[in-house]
Amino acid sequence: MLFAVFNAETVAQLTANGIFRGAAYGILGVGFALILGVTGRFHFAYAFTYTLAAYMVFTFKERWAVPFWIAAVVGIVAVGFVGVGIERFIYRPLARRARETALLAIFVASLGIAIAGENIIRLLWSSSSQNLLGPQQEAYTLLKASFLNFDVWEAASSFGLVVILALLLRYTSLGRSIKATRANPELAQTIGIEANQIYLICFFIGTVLCGVAAFWYGLQFTIAPDMGQSPVIFAFVVAFLAGTASSPIRVFFVGIGVALIQQYASIWLSVRWTQTAVFVVLVIYLSWLSLRQTDPIAWAKAKLARI
Amino acid sequence: MQIWLNYLDQILIYAAFAISLNLLLGYAGQVSVAHAAFGAIGGYTMGYLMMTRGWNFLPTALIGMVLAFIAGTIVALPALKLSVEYLILLTLAISSVIIGVFTTFPELGGTYGLIGINTPDIFGWTLGHPSDWVIPSLIMMLVTYGLCRRMGESAFGRVLKGIREDDRVTQALGKNVFAYKVGVFGITAGLAGLAGAFYSGWLQLATPSVYGFSFALTLFAIVIFGGMANLTGSIVGAAAVVLLEPLLRRVIKIDPATAALLQLVIYGLALVVLMMLRPQGVFPEGFSLWRLIRGKRAPTTRVEMTDSWVPTPTVQVHQIELDEIDDAERSRERRREEVWQNAPVVLEARGISKRFGGIVAADDLDIDFRKGTITALVGPNGAGKTTVFNLLTGFIRPDRGSVKMHGVELVGLSPDKVARLGLVRSFQDVRLVNRVSCVQNVMMAVQGQSGENLGKLMLGGSSARRGEKATREKAMNWLGFVGMADFADVPAGAVSYGQSKLISLARALATEAEVLLLDEPASGIDTRWVDTMLDLVEAVREQGRTVCIVEHNLHVVGRLADHTYFMELGRITAQGTIDELTHREELAEAYFGTV
Repeated sequence: MLFAVFNAETVAQLTANGIFRGAAYGILGVGFALILGVTGRFHFAYAFTYTLAAYMVFTFKERWAVPFWIAAVVGIVAVGFVGVGIERFIYRPLARRARETALLAIFVASLGIAIAGENIIRLLWSSSSQNLLGPQQEAYTLLKASFLNFDVWEAASSFGLVVILALLLRYTSLGRSIKATRANPELAQTIGIEANQIYLICFFIGTVLCGVAAFWYGLQFTIAPDMGQSPVIFAFVVAFLAGTASSPIRVFFVGIGVALIQQYASIWLSVRWTQTAVFVVLVIYLSWLSLRQTDPIAWAKAKLARI
Repeated sequence: MQIWLNYLDQILIYAAFAISLNLLLGYAGQVSVAHAAFGAIGGYTMGYLMMTRGWNFLPTALIGMVLAFIAGTIVALPALKLSVEYLILLTLAISSVIIGVFTTFPELGGTYGLIGINTPDIFGWTLGHPSDWVIPSLIMMLVTYGLCRRMGESAFGRVLKGIREDDRVTQALGKNVFAYKVGVFGITAGLAGLAGAFYSGWLQLATPSVYGFSFALTLFAIVIFGGMANLTGSIVGAAAVVLLEPLLRRVIKIDPATAALLQLVIYGLALVVLMMLRPQGVFPEGFSLWRLIRGKRAPTTRVEMTDSWVPTPTVQVHQIELDEIDDAERSRERRREEVWQNAPVVLEARGISKRFGGIVAADDLDIDFRKGTITALVGPNGAGKTTVFNLLTGFIRPDRGSVKMHGVELVGLSPDKVARLGLVRSFQDVRLVNRVSCVQNVMMAVQGQSGENLGKLMLGGSSARRGEKATREKAMNWLGFVGMADFADVPAGAVSYGQSKLISLARALATEAEVLLLDEPASGIDTRWVDTMLDLVEAVREQGRTVCIVEHNLHVVGRLADHTYFMELGRITAQGTIDELTHREELAEAYFGTV
């Protein structure tokens, strides 16, 4: 089935799917871009914190019988602190020690955390998938597209958090400190911004954002120890396509764009090809970057420095 | 017994994967997580051809290797100019695309993959049992080891290490960084394809999960455990990683399902702990297990680096008294200017202009360098002096203008090509390749080494070894020339700043380039050494080479320069002898801010 039926109904449904799934890609991308852009850590263990968030909520709710919404908030915030711990006790000492090879050392350690973390979850909670049960699921139909109440909540909460983050970056002194650190940590230090503190804050915010995405995913589908592997790759893709120094709103919409490409690709391509299609787009984009002979991060930093 | 032989087979195959990955990661510094996917190309090709066409194992494995090589070369093209973060992302994406494509074709078994590949046979010898696989896998691993070692521990590998640490410097020394990166990516991908064919043949499986992400991570872990740029370490790493499973299952008696999980937890945690405690791996770069077994220690050539150490160059040092510039001195300057005016032009730049957005970095520059003379480029900070070097050597392409050396147009050529034509620059911030020895740094600069050519390296027999010996001799001569011969085997990262400046001069000289552009050769070094450095630059002039220096220190310029260009805000505003220039008020003001 290389050519699927092409009609208004399909397009409406695919658009809706793209927006809802894109909201998840978007919020994941925003969190990852914040971490990579500000701290420069290639935080592969983002996959682990994602999975852990869903399992924390699950454990609070199912095993300890905490009321659902409280479990959700506590679980997501708790995983934020896990992110902070990874930065404080693993990445920071590594960066201090490895200096010029810090990026590779942190990437390797981060891989290690991701591998160990996933399997610790398997050992503690079993390898099979679990159901995270919450409020009643309801289906709606609007403009020929059908979706669930969870979809709406997910997209709304994701967008809301991204807007809050964008406002925080733009209008608060904390936000300005984060942006200054992103542009130049040493320089920020000289005007009294404690870069280490900013890094911890970024890890907290980034990890909470990925926790939110994991929570909604778990509520709609099931939770499993390897659930983080695919979303984290999309988080990378979105963050890199949008640029790690971009505004969160922009990153978020790039996420929706990626999901829409993926959905629309299914009109012309068999469903099995859609994921590959996204990566092909990414490879083309990266090749184009390479051909322009510019280092996008350096370019973005130079651009920021001029503002 | 068979079960242990099975582990042995697995170790050999994993080691083969890890060795080629190590050449890419440890030597060339290219962080790729796509190695497993290139293995999949080999494994799937072998499986598909054997199952549907009934071909023999060896030819299908070779076809798999060639296809993986082609795929690796294509992937390398966009990967070349990306920074590490983007390379990781690109190789992640490539892995997903490769595995995704395999999953899509029903002919390749879809998501299940190729299961039940026929038992391979090699020249009529059926590889039905683990014991049958030991010798073929060992041969395959040793071939991979031999090839990678030959590439890594040679002039070729020296260039790879240069690329790992500073690809701009490597390019400035005349190495075609582009070709090296594509070459090493393609070759290691091809070797991964070969290992993949053996892996799938041994498993009789080629499935997406076999070559999935956890396999990619396992290979990465082996290289990191064993030590980057240490191929023997990768074999040991493979053994450690593979034997962890029987250790947990058989010795500690944990049930198989838990053991498999615990094994991965241990890998992961070990990676974190290793990065924190011993980031260079169990066997660091340059560590030789052989030497240890034979009771030999690494050659110790540490030289006491005391304050009293002064370089003793092999050139005649003729001290010139640097008194106040008196009349005699002034006439000497004029004589030198005359020499400069009459010397033949070697390099001629005309109308060089470059803008970055609204900033004019170079505005219609005309510059001549003349044979056997020293030309100086002076001016205030931000005048664009270093940019001129970048424009002349091809690191930045000018918007307009031409640079001709002996009539050959250099604009539009890549920096390595420019360097090979005989125009070589040094860097203001020195930029030695810190993790290799001083002599290796200088050896890297020697041109036309046969060991840098893969064909000659692989097929030329001992010519590469003889070439290596000759290269080392040349490099030692240049080290002796600058008085640093005692430090030949000291890692370049361990010498003092002044010493590193001397080595960087030796490195530039070793290119035997006709024109040398030296960026602040005497800045930041101990005052006692400044004269030595200046003597050396004068000695280079006496050899008939053409030199251009960028310098702040007018004392240095006054001693060295035959002719001086004065630059301000991207323009040349005056030229002549340094004495003429310093006596012009408007220049003194531009330079010093006050009169």
